[in-house]
Amino acid sequence: MLKYVLKRLGYIVVVFLIASVLLFTLYKSVPGDPARLMLEGNKASMKPAEYEARYQDAVKKLGLDKPVIVQYFTWLFNTLRGDFGYSLTYKMPVKQMIGVPMKNTIMLNVWSLIPVFAITLPLGIATAVRRGTRFDSSVQVITIIGYSLPFFVIALLFIFLFAVKMPIFPISGVQTPGLRGTPLKMFFNKMYHMALPLLVMVFTSLGGLTRYVRATMIEALRMDYIRTARAKGLTEKVVIYSHAFRNALIPFITIMTGWFISIFSGSVVIERTFLWNGMGKVIIDALNQQDFAVSLALVMFYLVLSLIGNLLMDLSYGLADPRVKLD
Amino acid sequence: MSKKKYGSTFVDVLKTLFLGQKRTTLSILEEEQVQSPYKTMLRNFQEKWSAMLGVYIFLIIFLLVFLLPIFFPMDIQFQDPTQKNTKPTFAYMKYPSKLKNSVASIDGGSVFGVGVDQQGKLYQWGTLTKKLKELPPDNIRYTQVSAGLDHALAIDINGKVHTWGNDRFTLNMIPAQLNSKKAKQVIAGHQISLALTESGEVFVWGNTNLITIPVPQEKQGTFTKIAANTTLAVALTNKNEVVVFSSKETPFSYIPAEIQGKVIDIAITERSAAAVTTTGEIVVWGGDDYDIKTVPSNAQGKGVQITAGRGHFTALLNDGTVASWGRDNYKQARSPRLKNIVEVQSAYFQNYAIDDKGNIFTWGLKGYLMGTDQYGRDLFSRLLSGGRVTLTIGAIAVIISGFIGIVIGSFSGYYGGKMDMFLMRVAEVVSAIPFLPLAMILSAIIGSKISETGRISMIMVILGLLSWPSLARLVRGQILAAREQEFVTAAKAIGITEMKVIFKHILPNVITVVLVNLTLSFALSMLYESSLSYLGFGVNEPNATWGNMLYGCNDSTVMSQYWWRWVFPSIALSLTTVSINMAGDGMRDAIDPKSNDR
Repeated sequence: MLKYVLKRLGYIVVVFLIASVLLFTLYKSVPGDPARLMLEGNKASMKPAEYEARYQDAVKKLGLDKPVIVQYFTWLFNTLRGDFGYSLTYKMPVKQMIGVPMKNTIMLNVWSLIPVFAITLPLGIATAVRRGTRFDSSVQVITIIGYSLPFFVIALLFIFLFAVKMPIFPISGVQTPGLRGTPLKMFFNKMYHMALPLLVMVFTSLGGLTRYVRATMIEALRMDYIRTARAKGLTEKVVIYSHAFRNALIPFITIMTGWFISIFSGSVVIERTFLWNGMGKVIIDALNQQDFAVSLALVMFYLVLSLIGNLLMDLSYGLADPRVKLD
Repeated sequence: MSKKKYGSTFVDVLKTLFLGQKRTTLSILEEEQVQSPYKTMLRNFQEKWSAMLGVYIFLIIFLLVFLLPIFFPMDIQFQDPTQKNTKPTFAYMKYPSKLKNSVASIDGGSVFGVGVDQQGKLYQWGTLTKKLKELPPDNIRYTQVSAGLDHALAIDINGKVHTWGNDRFTLNMIPAQLNSKKAKQVIAGHQISLALTESGEVFVWGNTNLITIPVPQEKQGTFTKIAANTTLAVALTNKNEVVVFSSKETPFSYIPAEIQGKVIDIAITERSAAAVTTTGEIVVWGGDDYDIKTVPSNAQGKGVQITAGRGHFTALLNDGTVASWGRDNYKQARSPRLKNIVEVQSAYFQNYAIDDKGNIFTWGLKGYLMGTDQYGRDLFSRLLSGGRVTLTIGAIAVIISGFIGIVIGSFSGYYGGKMDMFLMRVAEVVSAIPFLPLAMILSAIIGSKISETGRISMIMVILGLLSWPSLARLVRGQILAAREQEFVTAAKAIGITEMKVIFKHILPNVITVVLVNLTLSFALSMLYESSLSYLGFGVNEPNATWGNMLYGCNDSTVMSQYWWRWVFPSIALSLTTVSINMAGDGMRDAIDPKSNDR
């Protein structure tokens, strides 16, 4: 077990290094000089000599005067230390800048987990148990439609229905601008703004997840131990919820890993559509402003997250299913 | 031959959809007949109505998107601000039947038309704004009308000018001097109004920030006719000379000297002017777009009256027929065969011709099937061309990712060991990073260096390069299982090269699973492409895709007032991805041996 974990950690380091070289090459191939970009705003107000001096300072500060290989290692160590660089547009360190968006994204994603599981688990089980019935086939078709629809189409439809035709929810934003009040009031205001993106997020996850639960459940119900359980005379309820469902949960770990990453990365499309100030919007803004340092640092961060997530996934397979051997 | 299986035709699918499933009873021999695995798959697939429906819908969309652009070509650079955000309708030239046989004056606006009958009653048709619907008092007899971009003008029987529609930019403030004079001709232009009085004076009012039309004061009192486009105006004097109202030199200023003093009628498009002389000669000068200087040979020397739209001329000839030429994007230069015409009127993209019995004939822009977008482009043709781009990008991305996935998966699964380790680590790196952010970064970095058309190929490659890992894993798993089977050992024993063993002996055994996966990832690629384009990191303007047609539509004005701009692309995209996924899902069920359990 320990050997396995160490081996996997070794892989993670290798994968991380390969990816970091690739990403750094990408970053270096970006057109434009980041030092000049940094001074762009106050270029007009400076004399040429002063500008030149400031430019040299910026070059030194960003480490652009050193060889590429040194720049790479500096960047790598800084990223590993959690120093994600300096955002040229926000004029502050990335680490400081992403605090609020990160909180918003995590909030949106964690809140969406609850209704998603509350709906998909029972629905998936019900369709698996009643496989082949009219109920099952209609749910099947609806879920295909659900996961085939583009996120932004669903988002546009929900905006049209619940923000334009029936103005129940605000069309976009995180909270009412300039609102000051008790923490409770602020919280409710935020929840009110979150309602529509949350609704869309839940709606878009339903189709795929329901189908997934159904498929794993059907797989589990085919097993011999289910026949044994039924032969023992156990009630159908016990067979389904205790014997089949527990085993069906194992592939569920895979899904959870996906969630684990998206909790931090957020949905680019939903955050863009609702102008939700989260991580997805940070990436879009950074790219639109040619602030590549920020976007690459974030990608590195997601990479580490997902590699660790994969390791955790494999480990929890072993924990959940004693038959799975790790080596 | 046995008769067709129920569920295999389009009619059966519709029946099942609306009337419910029909169970066919088979004899025991039919039920248990031996079939090849592929035949069983095909039968399973055809029996699933949702799968067949998906196939039919996709085929219909595919044919529409690839065949219809032949009839509805899209001019990629085309833009026309006068046509922006107009709703789906075909009523731009649908004049009321009451106007027939008693029309006194008729004119077309940007997306509407106005007319007045011989009793002096005003009529309007087409797409009218709220302000346009507020007609001037109906207890006055009107004699002449003119329609512009979003406002209209009329002269009543006493020569008084009335205006309605857009009232900003002082359009509603008719000059005081004009009120004391009798108007003879009015022109409603692009946020500007012109009026010519009986005494030969021209008055201009409206948005003078946008356009300045300086009237030469020394010639005031000599004008007999005016014509205007969105930038300037020209006039005819009582000495049959042409005068251009413009403060700077334009192509319009180069009036051919030989026609001065002989002109009886003038008209101007956006780029050129035309005049009819006393001898019926038609002379065109100015810019030479859309062959506008090529006057049809049957019209030359016979001209009586001339009118112009934004890019075309229509002339009335002395034998009572009409001729149109110039820009033909809305078929406005294709005049029908008409006779006994006494008057023609053209504006924007519309033409009206009135014969001696009072019948009205129209040709040109009737309207748009799906409305227009913020640049005045026809949404329907953009939807077709966008569909072609979206489907092509999806297909090529899938081919790229399929190729990489199959090759990497096969090698990884067949050779195992270090190669497997390495290739699977690469797959892990690619699939570990969230898809859309990485695709956006690649697109932003690479895309800044290449042209708009290059971007389309770039998106295909990016999507292909990022979406192969799942397929590679699938193929690897399948090959791992297949490689231990006897036929592989046999093939190896004969001494066939390993390449041949992999791609000729093993791969055909797993190809069905791969095909299903490719079908499903085709839909996924289309979704990714449209998401990227929707976010502004995919294919950009002026190229159309279903995703970038929705760019900027999450705006409350667009959502509520210009619904056609987001509804139609959304429907097209959703219908396509749903149908592909339904077909793919049916395929997956069909090839699954467990789905035949009874």
